[in-house]
Amino acid sequence: MAVRAEAGPARGNAVRVSGCTAAALAAKYADVDVVTAYPIRPYTAIMMTLAQMIANGELDAEYIHADGEHAQLSAALGAGSAGARAFTGSSGVGITFAYELYSFISGARIPIHMAVADRTLDPPGDFGSEHTDALCTRDMGWLMGWASTPQEVFDKTLMAYRMGEDHRVLLPQMVCQDGYFVSHISGEVELPDPAQVEEFLPPYKLPYALDPNLPVSHGAQIMPEQGPPLQLSRARAMEEAVPVMRQVTDRFGEVFGRRYPHFIEEYRLDDAEIAFFIQGAHAVTARGVVDRLRDLGVRIGMARLLWFRPFPTEDAQKALSHLKAVGTVETNLGLGGATSGGVLSLDLAAALYPLAERPLLTSFMAGMGGEAVPSHEFHWMASKLQQVVREGRIEKMTHWVGFEE
Amino acid sequence: MAIEVERQVLPLFEIEDRSRWYNPDLPETDPFVPGHRTCAGCGPAIEYRLHLKAAEDHSIAIGPTGCMYVANSSYMCTPYSIPWAHTPIASGGSFTSGVAAGYEAMIRKGKYQGKYPNIICMSGDGSASDIGLGSVSGMLYRNHDALLICYDNEQYANTGIQTSPTSPYGAMTTFTPPGPKIPEGKKLWPKEVAKMMAEGHPWCYVATSTVGYPIDLMNKTRKGLNFRGAAFMQVYAPCQKGFVYQTPLTIELGKMVVECGLFPVWEYDPETRSYDYFIPEQQHLVIEYLKLQGRFGHLSGEHIAKIQASANQKWEMIGAGVPADFRAAEDPAYYVRRGIDKAGAAATEKAKAW
Repeated sequence: MAVRAEAGPARGNAVRVSGCTAAALAAKYADVDVVTAYPIRPYTAIMMTLAQMIANGELDAEYIHADGEHAQLSAALGAGSAGARAFTGSSGVGITFAYELYSFISGARIPIHMAVADRTLDPPGDFGSEHTDALCTRDMGWLMGWASTPQEVFDKTLMAYRMGEDHRVLLPQMVCQDGYFVSHISGEVELPDPAQVEEFLPPYKLPYALDPNLPVSHGAQIMPEQGPPLQLSRARAMEEAVPVMRQVTDRFGEVFGRRYPHFIEEYRLDDAEIAFFIQGAHAVTARGVVDRLRDLGVRIGMARLLWFRPFPTEDAQKALSHLKAVGTVETNLGLGGATSGGVLSLDLAAALYPLAERPLLTSFMAGMGGEAVPSHEFHWMASKLQQVVREGRIEKMTHWVGFEE
Repeated sequence: MAIEVERQVLPLFEIEDRSRWYNPDLPETDPFVPGHRTCAGCGPAIEYRLHLKAAEDHSIAIGPTGCMYVANSSYMCTPYSIPWAHTPIASGGSFTSGVAAGYEAMIRKGKYQGKYPNIICMSGDGSASDIGLGSVSGMLYRNHDALLICYDNEQYANTGIQTSPTSPYGAMTTFTPPGPKIPEGKKLWPKEVAKMMAEGHPWCYVATSTVGYPIDLMNKTRKGLNFRGAAFMQVYAPCQKGFVYQTPLTIELGKMVVECGLFPVWEYDPETRSYDYFIPEQQHLVIEYLKLQGRFGHLSGEHIAKIQASANQKWEMIGAGVPADFRAAEDPAYYVRRGIDKAGAAATEKAKAW
């Protein structure tokens, strides 16, 4: 594990739970006021768990059975606007059904939280994990990141609330986990002492809540010439979020003893020549392959993206500029894009382009439709990266893993 | 330890002897303040003011996209002295649910000190009966303590007068223009939104009213807000731009639509599960209502006869008698005999020339 898990103060206790349960537990520790639910696999288990917690009296919250994801996000927005801490979530086509709300919520600057367990978009019906669902919303002004273990789901959820609710940010957050690979496989989760959470996550205080004691208007109609400053302020909030996210990540480490990198997990990158650039569950497999290839003398590493939005340009430059070749592992579909592949590599290429010295970039379409990405596929990808270094040029911008020699 | 949620109870206004004095018991507060950009004589704006006057200051207003958003709520000068929020057009009911649930939880958990606010959502008929129908039904189904009002100007007016599910048969809109092939314009019959809500969510308080009966409208607003659970109102509010009428006639139309039997005013009591229908003192033929509005100028006797037949069904439904003349007017020949039949065709020709 590259994420250092120090023993920390001997408080709390560990449980063995799935990523879905971890997300629900985090919502409970965050003492959310309103939960809005609508069923779709695989994230449903988060809402099932919360429903049981409320029924058991373990969590005091209103639970809204929404009439669809559009309503689900609208209700969460309403609750957040009223000044309540809101929690929602979805998967796959559920995420895209609610599309109207993503810009609306970030533009309204209401920091609600959305838990995502990825699922491939239709057609055809496919339960498997592909990041395309959440990535569709990537430019809508949400803080967005992928967790690779249940523990990270739990931690990221608390961190995301703290980041989004910070008055310098005030943006909604989406914490994603791969469907099944994380959402339905158990892992150990260290549960904190409630006092730790209280210390880390202050009560939600929206500066402009819908409160009759201090009337405000939300979302009034504007003229086109009033648009630019509003859009700029949202863009600035996204930029402002970067230093805040660093502070919150550090603070999380101090309080809970689990110290995460700010944006990019740099795994054996120091003296590496080639590396995978990846986010989500398959990083766990990639890490193992890196270790194995290192044993064989291959100078390989891995850069795992912890937060995709805002995109950590500076961190990516620092982590990757010294490499000879980087291969982005795309578990998403970006049809007709510049690389004819996924969308992660577009951001990475733009981030590295201003550097005088930068690695050659290629990308791999792997795990599409939620298929597992086994070790041998990572070995194949590594060999392609070695080939890039040998030849000093890329063969193509995108390789479909499993469809090429 | 859960804190009990304290709710508001608003007294009703006197209706008896109303003609002797002019509304002395109305609250002075006016949470819908002047300065908005609606048209002169705008029915929904008049309606909005009455609703908020009835609700008073410890209230929150919610506005899905529609006229009452676009024409009303300009940046830096919205006409609300209470908190107000815009929502997507299909989110009226669901956003309102979130606000209501938020207050329930916050007050119960001691995170908000104060009474539960009056929560009012003002959805247009396009929002409430079309794109946001599911959202409204969801809110009523879950029985949140809030009032959802459909201000019914019988069309998508804000986008330039397109037909909505409540636009009446025969109405000319930009999506149902009359022409030689389709002489009546709109061919479909309107959804009965309030009935749908009452029948489908029988535990809710549901009422209809019009801007022609301000005290009735305000009392129903208060009853809906006093009700512990979800309430729904559908209020007829003419749109001068789309109905094409003389501006001072807004309130008059609010009465005429009821007196012509086209928009029954009623109240549904969820306790007894029964309807209380208002029967107006005067009854008129539908043509008296239609002739005040340009949107019906193209209709011929055949179409007017159909509208009269639908009004007669409604008179029967509310338990009012149907005069013999009203029955006779169900026959297209009735209009031919009076020389009205060709009027519609002539109007269409005139419109084409124009």
